[in-house]
Amino acid sequence: MPVIAHPMIGNGQTEHGYYIYCIAESAATQQLDVASFPAAIEDNAKLEWVTTNDLAALSSTVPLEAYGEEALAEHLTDATWTAVRAMRHETVVEYVAKRTSVVPLRFGTIYLERSGIERMLNDKARELRQIIERLHGREEWGVNVYSDRARLLESITSVSPRLRELVRQAEAASPGQSYLLQKKIEALRVDEARAALSEIIEHVEQTLSAQADDSKRLRILKVEATEHGELKGKFAFLVNRSGFEEFRAAAEQLAEENVAAGVRLELTGPWPAYNFTVFDRT
Amino acid sequence: MSSPFDQIIITESGESLEESELSLLETLDHVLNRGLVIAGEITISVADIDLIFLGLNVMLSSVETAQEVLRRREQKSE
Repeated sequence: MPVIAHPMIGNGQTEHGYYIYCIAESAATQQLDVASFPAAIEDNAKLEWVTTNDLAALSSTVPLEAYGEEALAEHLTDATWTAVRAMRHETVVEYVAKRTSVVPLRFGTIYLERSGIERMLNDKARELRQIIERLHGREEWGVNVYSDRARLLESITSVSPRLRELVRQAEAASPGQSYLLQKKIEALRVDEARAALSEIIEHVEQTLSAQADDSKRLRILKVEATEHGELKGKFAFLVNRSGFEEFRAAAEQLAEENVAAGVRLELTGPWPAYNFTVFDRT
Repeated sequence: MSSPFDQIIITESGESLEESELSLLETLDHVLNRGLVIAGEITISVADIDLIFLGLNVMLSSVETAQEVLRRREQKSE
Protein backbone atom coordinates (compact mmCIF):
# COMPACT_ATOMS: atom_id res chain seq x y z
CA MET A 1 0.00 0.00 0.00
CA PRO A 2 1.73 3.23 -1.03
CA VAL A 3 1.94 5.78 1.72
CA ILE A 4 2.77 9.38 0.99
CA ALA A 5 5.99 10.04 2.79
CA HIS A 6 6.77 13.47 4.10
CA PRO A 7 10.51 13.91 4.03
CA MET A 8 10.74 16.38 6.88
CA ILE A 9 9.14 16.51 10.25
CA GLY A 10 8.46 19.68 12.19
CA ASN A 11 11.80 20.19 13.91
CA GLY A 12 13.75 20.04 10.65
CA GLN A 13 15.21 16.64 11.44
CA THR A 14 15.39 14.24 8.50
CA GLU A 15 12.78 11.54 8.55
CA HIS A 16 13.92 7.99 7.93
CA GLY A 17 12.56 4.82 6.47
CA TYR A 18 13.83 1.26 6.95
CA TYR A 19 15.39 -0.38 3.92
CA ILE A 20 15.60 -4.17 4.05
CA TYR A 21 18.18 -6.42 2.36
CA CYS A 22 17.49 -10.01 3.26
CA ILE A 23 15.86 -12.32 5.76
CA ALA A 24 17.52 -15.11 7.75
CA GLU A 25 16.92 -17.27 10.80
CA SER A 26 17.39 -15.20 13.91
CA ALA A 27 19.32 -17.98 15.66
CA ALA A 28 21.96 -17.82 12.92
CA THR A 29 22.09 -14.02 12.89
CA GLN A 30 22.96 -13.87 16.57
CA GLN A 31 26.40 -15.23 15.69
CA LEU A 32 27.00 -12.41 13.21
CA ASP A 33 28.37 -9.09 14.39
CA VAL A 34 26.84 -6.33 12.26
CA ALA A 35 29.78 -4.08 13.14
CA SER A 36 31.95 -6.13 10.76
CA PHE A 37 29.41 -6.09 7.92
CA PRO A 38 30.04 -4.18 4.66
CA ALA A 39 28.67 -0.63 4.32
CA ALA A 40 24.94 -0.02 4.35
CA ILE A 41 23.16 1.32 1.29
CA GLU A 42 23.50 4.89 2.61
CA ASP A 43 26.51 6.33 4.36
CA ASN A 44 26.24 6.98 8.09
CA ALA A 45 23.59 4.34 8.55
CA LYS A 46 24.12 1.21 10.60
CA LEU A 47 22.88 -2.22 9.67
CA GLU A 48 20.67 -3.89 12.23
CA TRP A 49 18.63 -7.04 12.51
CA VAL A 50 14.92 -6.56 13.06
CA THR A 51 13.93 -9.74 14.81
CA THR A 52 10.68 -11.53 15.52
CA ASN A 53 10.40 -15.06 16.96
CA ASP A 54 12.75 -17.06 14.77
CA LEU A 55 13.24 -14.75 11.79
CA ALA A 56 15.31 -11.62 11.30
CA ALA A 57 15.39 -9.01 8.55
CA LEU A 58 18.58 -7.07 7.91
CA SER A 59 17.77 -3.40 7.75
CA SER A 60 19.31 0.06 7.74
CA THR A 61 17.75 3.49 7.78
CA VAL A 62 17.48 5.59 4.64
CA PRO A 63 16.52 9.27 4.50
CA LEU A 64 13.06 9.70 3.02
CA GLU A 65 14.35 12.83 1.34
CA ALA A 66 15.98 10.45 -1.14
CA TYR A 67 13.88 7.30 -0.68
CA GLY A 68 10.39 8.74 -0.38
CA GLU A 69 8.13 7.62 -3.19
CA GLU A 70 8.63 10.58 -5.54
CA ALA A 71 12.29 11.19 -4.75
CA LEU A 72 13.09 7.52 -5.25
CA ALA A 73 11.36 7.38 -8.63
CA GLU A 74 13.49 10.29 -9.71
CA HIS A 75 16.77 8.89 -8.35
CA LEU A 76 16.16 5.57 -10.07
CA THR A 77 16.48 7.17 -13.49
CA ASP A 78 20.05 8.08 -12.55
CA ALA A 79 22.06 5.01 -13.58
CA THR A 80 25.05 5.79 -11.39
CA TRP A 81 22.94 6.45 -8.30
CA THR A 82 21.03 3.20 -8.78
CA ALA A 83 24.03 1.06 -9.73
CA VAL A 84 25.99 2.17 -6.65
CA ARG A 85 23.08 1.40 -4.30
CA ALA A 86 22.28 -1.89 -6.00
CA MET A 87 25.93 -2.95 -5.62
CA ARG A 88 25.89 -2.04 -1.93
CA HIS A 89 22.70 -4.05 -1.48
CA GLU A 90 24.37 -7.00 -3.19
CA THR A 91 27.60 -6.71 -1.19
CA VAL A 92 25.69 -6.80 2.08
CA VAL A 93 23.49 -9.73 1.03
CA GLU A 94 26.50 -11.69 -0.25
CA TYR A 95 28.34 -11.17 3.01
CA VAL A 96 25.45 -12.66 4.99
CA ALA A 97 24.74 -15.39 2.42
CA LYS A 98 28.33 -16.63 2.82
CA ARG A 99 27.60 -17.20 6.51
CA THR A 100 24.02 -18.42 6.69
CA SER A 101 21.05 -19.17 4.42
CA VAL A 102 19.28 -15.97 3.44
CA VAL A 103 16.25 -14.98 1.44
CA PRO A 104 17.59 -12.13 -0.68
CA LEU A 105 15.10 -9.35 -1.28
CA ARG A 106 14.79 -7.46 -4.48
CA PHE A 107 16.26 -3.98 -4.44
CA GLY A 108 14.01 -1.23 -3.11
CA THR A 109 11.80 -2.44 -0.27
CA ILE A 110 11.32 0.21 2.40
CA TYR A 111 9.16 0.37 5.52
CA LEU A 112 8.26 3.59 7.25
CA GLU A 113 8.28 1.98 10.70
CA ARG A 114 10.24 -0.86 12.26
CA SER A 115 6.94 -2.35 13.28
CA GLY A 116 6.05 -2.73 9.59
CA ILE A 117 8.99 -5.10 9.16
CA GLU A 118 8.01 -7.06 12.26
CA ARG A 119 4.46 -7.40 11.01
CA MET A 120 5.69 -8.63 7.63
CA LEU A 121 8.00 -11.21 9.27
CA ASN A 122 5.07 -12.52 11.29
CA ASP A 123 2.63 -12.54 8.39
CA LYS A 124 5.00 -14.35 6.04
CA ALA A 125 6.77 -16.51 8.62
CA ARG A 126 5.66 -19.86 7.26
CA GLU A 127 6.65 -19.12 3.66
CA LEU A 128 9.94 -17.52 4.65
CA ARG A 129 10.91 -20.50 6.78
CA GLN A 130 10.07 -22.79 3.89
CA ILE A 131 12.42 -20.93 1.54
CA ILE A 132 15.25 -20.77 4.06
CA GLU A 133 15.01 -24.47 4.82
CA ARG A 134 15.28 -25.27 1.15
CA LEU A 135 18.41 -23.14 0.83
CA HIS A 136 20.35 -24.83 3.61
CA GLY A 137 23.64 -26.12 2.24
CA ARG A 138 22.86 -24.86 -1.25
CA GLU A 139 24.07 -22.03 -3.44
CA GLU A 140 22.86 -20.42 -6.61
CA TRP A 141 25.09 -20.60 -9.67
CA GLY A 142 24.47 -18.85 -12.97
CA VAL A 143 25.29 -20.32 -16.36
CA ASN A 144 25.37 -18.18 -19.49
CA VAL A 145 25.56 -19.68 -22.96
CA TYR A 146 27.12 -17.53 -25.67
CA SER A 147 27.05 -18.26 -29.35
CA ASP A 148 29.51 -17.09 -31.96
CA ARG A 149 27.22 -17.02 -35.00
CA ALA A 150 29.93 -17.05 -37.63
CA ARG A 151 31.58 -20.12 -36.11
CA LEU A 152 28.27 -21.86 -35.66
CA LEU A 153 27.33 -21.33 -39.32
CA GLU A 154 30.72 -22.52 -40.41
CA SER A 155 30.61 -25.64 -38.26
CA ILE A 156 27.07 -26.55 -39.27
CA THR A 157 28.09 -27.15 -42.90
CA SER A 158 30.54 -29.83 -41.97
CA VAL A 159 28.17 -31.74 -39.69
CA SER A 160 24.95 -31.55 -41.70
CA PRO A 161 24.67 -34.30 -44.37
CA ARG A 162 22.04 -32.30 -46.28
CA LEU A 163 24.27 -29.27 -46.42
CA ARG A 164 27.31 -31.29 -47.43
CA GLU A 165 25.31 -32.81 -50.27
CA LEU A 166 24.10 -29.40 -51.46
CA VAL A 167 27.62 -28.00 -51.36
CA ARG A 168 28.83 -30.95 -53.44
CA GLN A 169 26.05 -30.37 -55.98
CA ALA A 170 26.80 -26.65 -56.14
CA GLU A 171 30.43 -27.35 -56.92
CA ALA A 172 29.50 -29.59 -59.83
CA ALA A 173 26.68 -27.39 -61.16
CA SER A 174 26.60 -24.79 -63.92
CA PRO A 175 27.09 -21.16 -62.77
CA GLY A 176 23.35 -20.43 -62.93
CA GLN A 177 22.37 -23.53 -61.01
CA SER A 178 25.20 -23.03 -58.59
CA TYR A 179 23.89 -19.56 -57.75
CA LEU A 180 20.44 -20.92 -56.90
CA LEU A 181 21.92 -23.76 -54.90
CA GLN A 182 24.06 -21.28 -53.01
CA LYS A 183 20.92 -19.35 -51.99
CA LYS A 184 19.35 -22.58 -50.81
CA ILE A 185 22.48 -23.50 -48.88
CA GLU A 186 22.50 -20.16 -47.08
CA ALA A 187 18.86 -20.48 -46.01
CA LEU A 188 19.33 -24.06 -44.87
CA ARG A 189 22.47 -23.14 -42.98
CA VAL A 190 20.61 -20.48 -40.98
CA ASP A 191 17.78 -22.91 -40.18
CA GLU A 192 20.05 -25.73 -39.17
CA ALA A 193 22.24 -23.44 -37.11
CA ARG A 194 19.22 -22.20 -35.18
CA ALA A 195 18.04 -25.75 -34.55
CA ALA A 196 21.52 -26.92 -33.53
CA LEU A 197 21.92 -24.04 -31.09
CA SER A 198 18.60 -24.60 -29.35
CA GLU A 199 19.47 -28.28 -29.10
CA ILE A 200 22.79 -27.42 -27.47
CA ILE A 201 21.12 -25.01 -25.05
CA GLU A 202 18.51 -27.61 -24.14
CA HIS A 203 21.24 -30.17 -23.60
CA VAL A 204 23.12 -27.77 -21.33
CA GLU A 205 19.94 -27.18 -19.32
CA GLN A 206 19.16 -30.88 -18.97
CA THR A 207 22.68 -31.97 -18.14
CA LEU A 208 23.19 -29.32 -15.49
CA SER A 209 19.68 -29.65 -14.06
CA ALA A 210 20.51 -33.27 -13.36
CA GLN A 211 23.42 -32.06 -11.21
CA ALA A 212 21.34 -29.45 -9.37
CA ASP A 213 18.44 -29.41 -6.92
CA ASP A 214 16.53 -26.85 -8.93
CA SER A 215 16.96 -24.86 -12.09
CA LYS A 216 15.49 -21.87 -13.79
CA ARG A 217 15.70 -20.65 -17.33
CA LEU A 218 16.01 -16.89 -17.18
CA ARG A 219 14.84 -14.47 -19.76
CA ILE A 220 17.39 -12.44 -21.65
CA LEU A 221 16.26 -8.85 -21.56
CA LYS A 222 18.41 -7.60 -24.34
CA VAL A 223 20.70 -9.20 -26.87
CA GLU A 224 24.01 -8.94 -25.11
CA ALA A 225 26.82 -9.07 -27.60
CA THR A 226 30.21 -9.64 -26.08
CA GLU A 227 33.60 -10.81 -27.22
CA HIS A 228 32.26 -14.33 -26.63
CA GLY A 229 29.37 -13.83 -29.04
CA GLU A 230 25.72 -13.31 -28.28
CA LEU A 231 24.09 -14.37 -25.05
CA LYS A 232 21.58 -17.03 -26.09
CA GLY A 233 20.84 -18.94 -22.91
CA LYS A 234 20.74 -17.90 -19.29
CA PHE A 235 20.14 -20.25 -16.38
CA ALA A 236 20.18 -20.30 -12.62
CA PHE A 237 20.86 -23.51 -10.72
CA LEU A 238 20.47 -24.30 -7.06
CA VAL A 239 23.44 -26.49 -6.28
CA ASN A 240 24.28 -28.41 -3.15
CA ARG A 241 27.65 -27.29 -1.83
CA SER A 242 28.85 -30.87 -1.60
CA GLY A 243 27.95 -31.46 -5.26
CA PHE A 244 29.44 -28.30 -6.65
CA GLU A 245 32.67 -29.81 -7.99
CA GLU A 246 30.69 -32.29 -10.08
CA PHE A 247 28.40 -29.53 -11.29
CA ARG A 248 31.39 -27.41 -12.28
CA ALA A 249 33.06 -30.31 -14.04
CA ALA A 250 29.86 -31.03 -15.99
CA ALA A 251 29.66 -27.39 -17.09
CA GLU A 252 33.28 -27.43 -18.17
CA GLN A 253 32.76 -30.61 -20.13
CA LEU A 254 29.74 -29.13 -21.89
CA ALA A 255 31.85 -26.13 -22.82
CA GLU A 256 34.51 -28.36 -24.32
CA GLU A 257 32.01 -30.52 -26.21
CA ASN A 258 30.46 -27.51 -27.88
CA VAL A 259 33.51 -25.41 -28.62
CA ALA A 260 33.48 -26.43 -32.29
CA ALA A 261 29.95 -25.05 -32.63
CA GLY A 262 31.18 -21.65 -31.45
CA VAL A 263 29.54 -22.02 -28.05
CA ARG A 264 31.01 -20.64 -24.88
CA LEU A 265 29.83 -21.22 -21.33
CA GLU A 266 30.19 -18.85 -18.42
CA LEU A 267 29.68 -19.99 -14.86
CA THR A 268 29.02 -17.25 -12.30
CA GLY A 269 28.54 -17.41 -8.58
CA PRO A 270 28.01 -18.34 -5.89
CA TRP A 271 25.07 -15.96 -5.73
CA PRO A 272 22.67 -15.44 -2.90
CA ALA A 273 19.66 -17.45 -4.07
CA TYR A 274 17.91 -14.58 -5.84
CA ASN A 275 16.23 -16.91 -8.30
CA PHE A 276 14.98 -19.44 -5.78
CA THR A 277 12.95 -17.35 -3.41
CA VAL A 278 9.55 -18.47 -4.64
CA PHE A 279 7.32 -20.12 -2.11
CA ASP A 280 7.19 -23.88 -2.44
CA ARG A 281 3.97 -24.89 -4.16
CA THR A 282 3.73 -28.28 -2.50
CA MET B 1 42.75 -20.56 -28.33
CA SER B 2 41.41 -19.61 -24.93
CA SER B 3 39.22 -22.00 -22.98
CA PRO B 4 35.55 -22.22 -23.94
CA PHE B 5 34.71 -22.13 -20.25
CA ASP B 6 34.74 -19.13 -17.96
CA GLN B 7 34.33 -19.34 -14.25
CA ILE B 8 33.63 -16.16 -12.37
CA ILE B 9 33.72 -16.76 -8.66
CA ILE B 10 32.42 -14.13 -6.33
CA THR B 11 35.07 -13.56 -3.72
CA GLU B 12 34.63 -12.22 -0.23
CA SER B 13 35.76 -8.78 -1.36
CA GLY B 14 33.47 -8.98 -4.39
CA GLU B 15 36.38 -7.98 -6.59
CA SER B 16 36.27 -10.63 -9.24
CA LEU B 17 32.77 -9.66 -10.27
CA GLU B 18 33.32 -5.96 -10.22
CA GLU B 19 36.26 -6.21 -12.56
CA SER B 20 34.23 -6.11 -15.72
CA GLU B 21 31.22 -4.16 -16.85
CA LEU B 22 29.51 -7.34 -17.92
CA SER B 23 29.78 -8.72 -14.43
CA LEU B 24 28.36 -5.51 -13.08
CA LEU B 25 25.37 -6.02 -15.35
CA GLU B 26 25.10 -9.59 -14.14
CA THR B 27 24.99 -8.36 -10.56
CA LEU B 28 22.47 -5.63 -11.29
CA ASP B 29 20.31 -8.17 -13.08
CA HIS B 30 20.19 -10.23 -9.88
CA VAL B 31 19.58 -7.36 -7.51
CA LEU B 32 17.05 -5.49 -9.64
CA ASN B 33 15.17 -8.23 -11.46
CA ARG B 34 15.21 -11.11 -9.03
CA GLY B 35 14.97 -11.77 -5.34
CA LEU B 36 11.91 -11.96 -3.17
CA VAL B 37 9.40 -9.21 -3.75
CA ILE B 38 7.74 -8.15 -0.53
CA ALA B 39 5.29 -5.31 -0.36
CA GLY B 40 6.94 -2.68 1.77
CA GLU B 41 5.35 0.64 2.49
CA ILE B 42 7.52 2.01 -0.29
CA THR B 43 8.33 -0.58 -2.92
CA ILE B 44 9.60 -0.11 -6.42
CA SER B 45 7.08 -1.81 -8.65
CA VAL B 46 8.10 -4.77 -10.75
CA ALA B 47 7.30 -2.88 -13.96
CA ASP B 48 9.55 0.00 -12.90
CA ILE B 49 12.40 -2.38 -12.21
CA ASP B 50 12.34 -3.66 -15.79
CA LEU B 51 12.60 -0.13 -17.10
CA ILE B 52 15.39 0.74 -14.67
CA PHE B 53 17.33 -2.34 -15.64
CA LEU B 54 16.89 -1.76 -19.34
CA GLY B 55 18.14 1.79 -18.86
CA LEU B 56 21.15 0.62 -16.88
CA ASN B 57 21.77 -2.15 -19.35
CA VAL B 58 21.96 0.29 -22.25
CA MET B 59 24.06 2.80 -20.32
CA LEU B 60 26.54 0.30 -18.98
CA SER B 61 26.86 -1.43 -22.34
CA SER B 62 27.70 1.86 -23.93
CA VAL B 63 30.28 2.51 -21.20
CA GLU B 64 31.71 -0.90 -21.97
CA THR B 65 31.77 -0.25 -25.70
CA ALA B 66 33.44 3.11 -25.17
CA GLN B 67 36.11 1.52 -23.00
CA GLU B 68 36.67 -1.19 -25.58
CA VAL B 69 37.15 1.39 -28.34
CA LEU B 70 39.60 3.33 -26.17
CA ARG B 71 41.58 0.19 -25.36
CA ARG B 72 41.86 -0.72 -29.03
CA ARG B 73 42.99 2.78 -29.88
CA GLU B 74 45.66 2.61 -27.18
CA GLN B 75 46.86 -0.75 -28.45
CA LYS B 76 47.14 0.63 -31.98
CA SER B 77 49.14 3.65 -30.96
CA GLU B 78 51.61 1.55 -28.99
